[in-house]
Amino acid sequence: MEPLLDFLSTFAVQFQKPTLAFLLGGMLIAALGSKLDVPDAIYRFIIFMLLMKVGIGAGMEIREANFFDLLAPALISVIVGVVIVLTGSATLARLPGVRREDGIATSGLFGAVSASTLAAAMVLLEEEEIGFEAWVPALYPFMDIPALVIAIVLANLYLQRTRAKAPAGQSAANGERVRVWPIVVDSLRGSALSALLLGLALGLLTQPDRVFETFYEPLFRGLLSVLMLIMGMEAWTRLMELRRVAHWYAVYALVAPPTHGLIAFGLGYVAHLTTGFSPGGVILLAVIAASSSDISGPPTLRAGIPSANPSAFIGSSTAVGTPIAIAVCIPLFLALGQLVFGL
Amino acid sequence: MTSSATKVTIVSERVILDKITAIIEAAGATGYTVIEGGGKGSHGVRTTDRPSVVKALAIVKIEIVVADRETAEKIADAVNEKYFKHYSGIVYLERVEILRPQKF
Repeated sequence: MEPLLDFLSTFAVQFQKPTLAFLLGGMLIAALGSKLDVPDAIYRFIIFMLLMKVGIGAGMEIREANFFDLLAPALISVIVGVVIVLTGSATLARLPGVRREDGIATSGLFGAVSASTLAAAMVLLEEEEIGFEAWVPALYPFMDIPALVIAIVLANLYLQRTRAKAPAGQSAANGERVRVWPIVVDSLRGSALSALLLGLALGLLTQPDRVFETFYEPLFRGLLSVLMLIMGMEAWTRLMELRRVAHWYAVYALVAPPTHGLIAFGLGYVAHLTTGFSPGGVILLAVIAASSSDISGPPTLRAGIPSANPSAFIGSSTAVGTPIAIAVCIPLFLALGQLVFGL
Repeated sequence: MTSSATKVTIVSERVILDKITAIIEAAGATGYTVIEGGGKGSHGVRTTDRPSVVKALAIVKIEIVVADRETAEKIADAVNEKYFKHYSGIVYLERVEILRPQKF
């Protein structure tokens, strides 16, 4: 009984942390119809700052890291990204009232990674003084890109099959094959991944220590709190949109993040036992898997699967998936980590 | 002195802006203007007064002025056929009076 009580109390404490409080605050003021607005440019700048900090931090660490330590977690990330999309398209996409391509696009977004969730998890781990390898956030693209690619390929294969069954003449104009490389390039060019990769390169190849310590590092938490506020407001707005699509999306968005996180936690635990992957790293990997993309994933999917309804996949991810990942999954995996690793 | 020309206006999602401008250039128009915006249509409200997490779905208005109506119709038809089945958007043509016709 006692471990369970411990687990629940660690879980409850997380709700008072500023990161979550700002998220809930944003939802609250949006619900009350507040006129508060944060300029678009600031939002974009915050994303840049956060990922730059994450990237540089990871880059500086990789300089000293043993390259082989990275291999197992990177492989796990790819596997988790692919598995999420495959299970999503075998479950959500087959439910009544869910169009197949909408379901696949949604699972693609849940397989992809959210920069804001990742940043929030990093701050909470630092507050709890749980160490993790600084290169763990660099696992982001290893999960993000495979998930988006698999989702777009699966959806297009499905659409081609249904078109082949359609009467001749209708299918004539639509015989284009899916090319994987442009999807990868498109993901890499997205604002979040570009900043992360540039940061990684700068951290790895140059000596940005001073600008990192005096500028990026001190601003990180403050900017994250503003971002959480924006995400909360956006989540509320998208919730209205989600109401117009089938309720299965809301169910999926509630259940999927903890499930995906648990898969990654399990695989991460195996890596912990075999290659000494740190407990903090396992927790962070679980949160990366639990998160669903809200910035760079949607445009890639919109371009890759034009017939999928964006209200369905963006609504599920931004309105339910991200709040669940931040407010439920981060404290959940933190508590689980503390229970399993006895931190 | 003015001479007459045709203006094509396309309002659509930012995510296909590059593809639309490629069509415009392929049709032989000499230029176009892109204006970012917001509004309300059959796909719901696109706000301009709050940061939107997904910029690609924000709307853009693209205006093209061409001397001959044929080119204008070619652009309008191509965009309509290729993209407006899945992406949201509208397209309309107007007669306009222009100065310096050699520019078009």
